[in-house]
Amino acid sequence: MPKKYDVIVIGGGHNGLVNAAYLARAGKKVLVLERRYVLGGAAVTEEIVPGFKFSVFSYVVSLLRPEIIRDLDLPRHGLEILPLDGTMTPMPNGDYLWRVNDHAKTRRELDRHSKLDAEAYDEFAQSMVAMCRFVKPILGMIPPDPTSLDPRDWKKLAFLGKRFQSLAAEDKYNLVQLMTMSAADFLDQWFETDVLKATMSASGIIGTFLGVRSTGTAYVLLHHYMGEIDGAFRSWGFSRGGTGAISSAIGAAAREAGAEIRMEAPVARIMVKNGSAQGVALETGEEIHADAVSSSVDPNLTFLKFIESRELPGYFLEEVRRYKYRGSSGKVNLALDELPNFKCLPGPGRHLRGAISISPSTEYMERAYDQAKYGEYSRRPYIDMVIPSLTDPSVAPPGKHVLSCFVQYAPYKLSSGTWDEQREAFGDTVIETIAEYAPNLKDIIIGKQVITPLDIERQTGLTEGNIFQGELSLEQLFFLRPVAGWARYRTPIRKLYMCGSATHPGGGVMGAPGRLAALEILRDTGKGKR
Amino acid sequence: MAAAREIVIVGGGHNALVAAFYLAQKGLKPLVLERRAVVGGAAVTEEFHPGFRCSTVAHAGGPPLPSIVRYMQLAKHGLEKLESPVRLFAPSPDGRALVLASDPSAAARQIEQFSKKDAEKYIELHKALERTGAILSDLLTLTPPVIEKPSKGDLWKLLKVGRKFRGLGKKEMMRLLRWGPMAVADFVAEFFETDLLRAAVAARGIYGAAMGPWSAGSTALLLLRAASDPFPVGNSAYPRGGMGALTKAMAAAAIQAGAEIRTGAEVEQIVVKDGAAAGVVLRGGEEISAKRVVSGADPQRTLLGLVDPVHLPPSFTVKMQHYRCKGMAAKLNLALDALPTFSALKNSSEGNAALAGRIHIGPGIDYLERAFDDSKYGDFSRAPYLDVSIPSILDSSLAPAGKHVMSIYMQFAPYRLKQGDWMQQRDALADTIIKTLAAHAPDLPGKILARQILTPKDLEETYGLTGGHPFHGELALDQLFTMRPLLGWARYRTPVKGLHLCGSGTHPGNGITGASGANAAREILNDLR
Repeated sequence: MPKKYDVIVIGGGHNGLVNAAYLARAGKKVLVLERRYVLGGAAVTEEIVPGFKFSVFSYVVSLLRPEIIRDLDLPRHGLEILPLDGTMTPMPNGDYLWRVNDHAKTRRELDRHSKLDAEAYDEFAQSMVAMCRFVKPILGMIPPDPTSLDPRDWKKLAFLGKRFQSLAAEDKYNLVQLMTMSAADFLDQWFETDVLKATMSASGIIGTFLGVRSTGTAYVLLHHYMGEIDGAFRSWGFSRGGTGAISSAIGAAAREAGAEIRMEAPVARIMVKNGSAQGVALETGEEIHADAVSSSVDPNLTFLKFIESRELPGYFLEEVRRYKYRGSSGKVNLALDELPNFKCLPGPGRHLRGAISISPSTEYMERAYDQAKYGEYSRRPYIDMVIPSLTDPSVAPPGKHVLSCFVQYAPYKLSSGTWDEQREAFGDTVIETIAEYAPNLKDIIIGKQVITPLDIERQTGLTEGNIFQGELSLEQLFFLRPVAGWARYRTPIRKLYMCGSATHPGGGVMGAPGRLAALEILRDTGKGKR
Repeated sequence: MAAAREIVIVGGGHNALVAAFYLAQKGLKPLVLERRAVVGGAAVTEEFHPGFRCSTVAHAGGPPLPSIVRYMQLAKHGLEKLESPVRLFAPSPDGRALVLASDPSAAARQIEQFSKKDAEKYIELHKALERTGAILSDLLTLTPPVIEKPSKGDLWKLLKVGRKFRGLGKKEMMRLLRWGPMAVADFVAEFFETDLLRAAVAARGIYGAAMGPWSAGSTALLLLRAASDPFPVGNSAYPRGGMGALTKAMAAAAIQAGAEIRTGAEVEQIVVKDGAAAGVVLRGGEEISAKRVVSGADPQRTLLGLVDPVHLPPSFTVKMQHYRCKGMAAKLNLALDALPTFSALKNSSEGNAALAGRIHIGPGIDYLERAFDDSKYGDFSRAPYLDVSIPSILDSSLAPAGKHVMSIYMQFAPYRLKQGDWMQQRDALADTIIKTLAAHAPDLPGKILARQILTPKDLEETYGLTGGHPFHGELALDQLFTMRPLLGWARYRTPVKGLHLCGSGTHPGNGITGASGANAAREILNDLR
């Protein structure tokens, strides 16, 4: 039977699209199959309340790899990133901590809280940049296998060793700590202002089921610090038109390169014959053949839903079942009649144009986690808010605004009740929490969308609602992601590849897994005919 | 003034005694200076009530490395090991109990009452820990390599460990790499479905640490401990006469080898001249000059307390200040009129024989985690995790005939309380521990003749453990192996020439194994060569 395609990519999330674009550019005939009516997976913009465009799930950008932006010429395809200006943390005592991109201003603000911390902040930033420089090439690297005797693996390990040696003594020390400590312990060594530590440690726990005092969160801190726009570390931004615009741009690049994208085409199974992938069957029963299949969905769907277990080795299946998802976050998107008014800094102003973080103390953050450990959503959660409509007026009607609230912790598994029963109460908790700092909030809400981990799973297919396709914990990173021994985008089934966030280097709208997987597929199958 | 001694050792704890022995064995004549009237540090037997003696602080061995026990001929010096046929008894609030025999297959049969699958998995875990333990135990006796510039000797030793590691096969190699950074709660869930069994095994990953079972890295601690004893729930062997008998035997061996031991000699200062250790000053002013000083005290006490900071690089001092050394443990010792009756044993065929090993109070993973939660915010656990032993069952020398001593290790009691201080809270702590136990053995309170409570503050003041930390510093991923106590200073040396560390604050630094002392002695002898 003639095969119409070289590669079928399952899932039209950002990684699937990056994967398809790179393959198509190399001359492969590629088909992307997306289950929903909209491209982007968890990076989508949808009009839930008429006139208001929500970045439904993922809401800020920074991790998107610059080489991908360049290679795929994404600005030409409509990508425009608008910088996000700093982070403001309101405090219960009416004070605030407001860090902005302007260095001198931030310094004055820190000075107000602690002179020592203002000093340490510069040193900290320098050290983090040095470490980001060390880790960055790892993000673009196919993970080596430390148990192998292959000289290629040893070369990579030696490369890492050499780079490590080239770090300054202090940075070496910091890096080792960063890989093994908790975010809170790590920051304790640098700073004394609790609200500063709490807000900074928050990036160590985003998307993970860990607390700020959990070992391993310091690394995630770095993972987020690496956010890079125009080469500057630690700068985040919005994509004009919402996060979905990123997916649209990548989709356009893929189409231009020749990839075909089919919407509302849910995959039911991956066809396997003699241990080799043959193509996919859709839920409609239609069978599509291809030389290779590249799955951007998570291992749970790929191996436990789309493939019959007899096709896979028992050990591998066991490891796939063991892989941890544990979604821990939710989202509340609000359509607002006017801007929220914060008690600590009343009225409109620049402080609303950046991120607003509800993270008043380290203890607050840790207690939020404690509740989640026993299967309850935090009654006073950590919230990271942005008002994209201030920077990008296209997402709301004139004078009105969108408030996007990322919320943690919301454990996928509740100890009592279901998320369908608790959704409203969860949304109310979030609004109550914010209203403690911005009392007018309750009166200005025109429409709302409450997204629980269960909703994330239902809408995007992300198992247990984990936004990174699996925990970013040390035992699930690098050569251990997603399954030890299978960290190189290949699977026990020939011609079946993984290209989603469940592979190295993991989650965030980064695109790196999609690109690295494409390079590996091309290495195995050679360039296309064109 | 007398001629300078070759070596002075600060502190007479078990690691210091092991180091003294190894150094004396090579013809050096080390002088051990112990602050208290007894040697042993935290491994001592003391009479806390007339006629009642027990291991006041540490009550279970690491156990001491067999190579050290043999080399020091401790048996000849009076060490006798008593082993209970039951390793662990873990009562549960539902009235059932897990009783685990020392023999793994017998233990598996006992687990069958809870779950057939768990029984099989228990054997599997035991075997897995034996295999990984065989590799990790080589690491225990290794001087951590310099990461920046490993020497040829380091590489050779690592290569040897690496070859053994490769012998595991790819699947197990990967598994070991994956296990290391994991939370022990996840680790035990990979094996067992019974919560009580999960908790009993997981406890080994949090014992003595400021970690709950959901803390990442707690599996590493369990694996480190399994390197000295592969039994999933740890050991239940006691020296006859308590832990003090072990250190007494060590002291006797050291003296016979040529070491000198002075008790009641508190070192107040380590003298540094021209960047090198030159001796010590005792409380009372006596000065003893020495070419080398070896400290069995914890790293913070040694380097922040005994050495004048002008002799240390400021960045080193800052790092040492950040070394995490705040204890979470307390101890309650009880003199009992008779054995308490555990409800869970009423219908058990084991009877009181089940009490001869260790008694684990911590019936579930959530229970252990909640116990930890309290401590994060400066409270001691209201329902604590307890590790209990009644050594007088096997060793009648510890209590008058028919009477008993109960030794209770309690976790979590943070060194720093949010409200009040330990002077005010000590009785409340003791009462909480007794209440927790009484839930399982209701007649316990009526049988108590006397009690001795040791809060983290007491552990610091009486036993010299800074921050009350029983292991001289957190056993977390960032303070282990090449990072113990600090990255770049894991080779038993310090920035002061001729000043060495040999206590639990150095690799492998975990319980009463003696490995830190032996490793330090080896490095000192290397320097002298």
